[in-house]
Amino acid sequence: MKIIFKTALCLMAAVILAGCERPPIETVQTGYRGTGMEQIYNPRTLAKQASLNTAPAAAEAADADGPKAKDVYKNVQVLGDLSVGQFNRHMASITQWVAPDAGCAYCHNVQNFADDEKYTKVVARRMIQMTQKVNQDYKSHVAETGVTCYTCHRGNNVPTQVWTAPKDRLYANSLLGDLAGQNMATKAAGLTSLPSDPFSPYLMNAQPIRVNSDTAMTGAGAYANRASTKQAEFTYSLMVHMSESLGVNCTYCHNTRNFASWEESRPQRVTAWHGIRMARDLNNDYIIPLTDKFPANRLGPKGDVAKVNCSTCHQGAYKPLYGAQMAKDFPELQALAKP
Amino acid sequence: MAEYQNLFTSVQPVGPLHHGVDLPRGDDKRTGEPFLVHLFGRIGNAQIGPVYLGSLGVASLIFGIAAFNIIGFNMLASVDWNPIQLLRQLFWLALEPPPPAYGLSIPPLAEGGWWLLVGFLLTVSIMLWWVRTYRRARQLGLGTHVAWAFAAAIWLYLVCGFFRPIMMGSWSEAVPFGIFPHLDWVSAISLRYGNLFYNPFHALSIVFLYGSVLLFAMHGATILAVGRYGGEREIEQIVDRGTASERAGLFWRWTMGFNATMESIHRWAWWFAVLSPLVGGVGILLTGTVVDNWYLWSVKHHVVPAYPLGSPVVVDPAILGVKP
Amino acid sequence: MSMLSFERQYRVRGGTLFGGDLFDFWVGPFYVGFFGITTLFFVLTGTTMILWGAAMGPTWNVWQINIAPPDISYGLRFAPMMEGGLWQLITVCAIGSFVSWALREVEIARKLGMGLHVPVAFGMAILAYVSLQVIRPVLMGAWGHAFPYGIYSHLDWISNTAYQYLHFHYNPWHMIAASLFFATTLALSMHGGLVLSATNPGKGEVVKSPEHEDTFFRDLIGYSVGTLGIHRLGLFLALAGVWFGIVCIVVSGPFWTGAWPEWWGWWLNMPIWRT
Repeated sequence: MKIIFKTALCLMAAVILAGCERPPIETVQTGYRGTGMEQIYNPRTLAKQASLNTAPAAAEAADADGPKAKDVYKNVQVLGDLSVGQFNRHMASITQWVAPDAGCAYCHNVQNFADDEKYTKVVARRMIQMTQKVNQDYKSHVAETGVTCYTCHRGNNVPTQVWTAPKDRLYANSLLGDLAGQNMATKAAGLTSLPSDPFSPYLMNAQPIRVNSDTAMTGAGAYANRASTKQAEFTYSLMVHMSESLGVNCTYCHNTRNFASWEESRPQRVTAWHGIRMARDLNNDYIIPLTDKFPANRLGPKGDVAKVNCSTCHQGAYKPLYGAQMAKDFPELQALAKP
Repeated sequence: MAEYQNLFTSVQPVGPLHHGVDLPRGDDKRTGEPFLVHLFGRIGNAQIGPVYLGSLGVASLIFGIAAFNIIGFNMLASVDWNPIQLLRQLFWLALEPPPPAYGLSIPPLAEGGWWLLVGFLLTVSIMLWWVRTYRRARQLGLGTHVAWAFAAAIWLYLVCGFFRPIMMGSWSEAVPFGIFPHLDWVSAISLRYGNLFYNPFHALSIVFLYGSVLLFAMHGATILAVGRYGGEREIEQIVDRGTASERAGLFWRWTMGFNATMESIHRWAWWFAVLSPLVGGVGILLTGTVVDNWYLWSVKHHVVPAYPLGSPVVVDPAILGVKP
Repeated sequence: MSMLSFERQYRVRGGTLFGGDLFDFWVGPFYVGFFGITTLFFVLTGTTMILWGAAMGPTWNVWQINIAPPDISYGLRFAPMMEGGLWQLITVCAIGSFVSWALREVEIARKLGMGLHVPVAFGMAILAYVSLQVIRPVLMGAWGHAFPYGIYSHLDWISNTAYQYLHFHYNPWHMIAASLFFATTLALSMHGGLVLSATNPGKGEVVKSPEHEDTFFRDLIGYSVGTLGIHRLGLFLALAGVWFGIVCIVVSGPFWTGAWPEWWGWWLNMPIWRT
């Protein structure tokens, strides 16, 4: 009896400890001493993460001399002002970043490269413009580091971290069991039972994220803050996503004693603010308009296109690829072409 | 030989089982033949039963089981009636109150209606149980202190699930029935209202909560320490002070300069335990109805400590009119 | 004098751990003992340092006074006084006074022929303090991880430390500890209520017996733990609550660096039912 009991205890301990890590750990102080504002890292996990998030070497720069790509090739709608050499270099890079296995045939009809018959070519063209938009107009978020196709795609046809509207449960119209968009264990909510789709309201639509009042006392009538406790759960879910996507915790941006205060927050919070607007912009101006270009197997369970959120680029790193500067080797991705 | 520490009973004398003090006429007969569980006897009484199943108790159980079942079936339905997923996701599942859009109106069953029904059934069950605790005490000729302590807990339950939602004009403000979801509610209300640590009633409630833990550790340890003098015979010691009470009192007097008596310690106990939900309920009731941001309220009342700010000071990009 | 009516006969020599008869006396109602002297020393020194720290700070507002630990960059070294060194000395005095107090309780219990349950129970509380301010910081490599001394500032530390794990409520040890805290408070209200209900039965009633107490809870829920059992149960619930609180915070950081909701992945991903 005693032995069974002891064995059971040991097994339980083993199972529980299996979920745990061990010292030593690394910490970075991000606020005044004693406030508890810190980032905590397991150096062993971090090392593994870092090795999985490296940038590939850039191809050697091509000669800018010679005729322009738009004059030599047919149906070149973006990147036409590059030299042929630069253009080909860019195509080779895209292939490495997005379709290393399928090669040129992933986007092109290899009998007729100019042909637009494959949806992937149409989508890729728009995404080149999207990348240029990010690097040109969102320096408030990506600074001079910038992004390339690799930042999201990482050698995959479809980036691994994208989102679509979650599928309804089987008996969604039943009288019982309304989930109210939460109360299940989902990766999207970071394994909490917070709302499982914080992306549609905040990274596609522009619902207000802020819930706090800027007055101590409850206002009346027109001065009332109508945000509900439920709304705070939605904001919280978005914040959990942002934290997990960057591999940071709440104190990276906030002093949690007063989340709302910008004076008590860190500069990173401003960068994040711009990031939210950037994600909305990209989803609404670039991704969603491409919906009918995609075949059914690339769409979500509700027929919507796969969209971007913070983890699409960041993938667990506080800066994508831990700040590796890929974009500087691809000046053609730094700016949108003049109309 | 090691000294006995009065933690576990080593020898359990077994006598005739006790069928309870006689009840006055008008009460039902008790249910169940009492039996002994040796393992329980190592810590406290070994006897299980009999129980008094009166009309109040049975009614309370019926309402309570109904509420429990509705919650359970909704949880099962939410995982598409898959019992394995019910077990797997049990801590995450919930019966959710209506969404904010419905205000205080009765929503459709599928969108918070069940929650409202469960709230009603559970409240009736709890109220009936409260009357039971009152009645059982009165029928045995006891004071009603246990019932009134229970009332403090019911106060907090009603504040969270009924009074405050009504004052806020929205059932959605109430607490969902679910393990993790109700913890999400706790976080959410603190996030929405400017950090509940800065709510002074919340702070006071925690003082009484931790204080209760402190007090029970102190009182439990003290009585066990004077077990050799019959310290656990508290009623007898109260009406006729013996050496157990004297030593217990002197221990604390010599330690901290003052002491309680065998009776008054139970008043300290009762008040600390009761004041935690009582004061806490007040704090929740004021949240959102009177105070919308407890941090800013605390700033107004000059209790917020200052830390050096980062440099340069961060500014809200929204008010800068920043064009992204 | 400040003696209770029955006290004189209990004031005997003996029970001391250290110092023999030298400090075996009372001042007013307080027993002194060797550890009363050490308590006094640590309390006076520590309090003086707190007051000095407040004087060096920006305010005398008791709610706002804050004495913070050193920056994490100092690691486990001594920091300059104004940069957290004062905090370190105050912490030493705190531990000194708590341990002195516990040992004094041992002397008092021995003198009164009592078991040592009270100082042992207090030891759990001391362990909680030491875990927060010494054990966990040492495991994490810096004194700066400990909480500051200030009424509201220590709450800011709690808030930020908890949010380092995104949603601390999902910490399973914290869940157990919180449940035990609430259970302790429930049990305390029931025990206090029960004893008072028997000894204050209301107008026209006589004081009741333990049989009435047992009958009340048997009638109510089918079981009564009894007069001895409730004190064992109460002590256990309280100490178990503190113990799991210690576990929950020592694990956070040294043995878990991620978000606490993520910890539940092992349960959700078990091969028998992963989706």
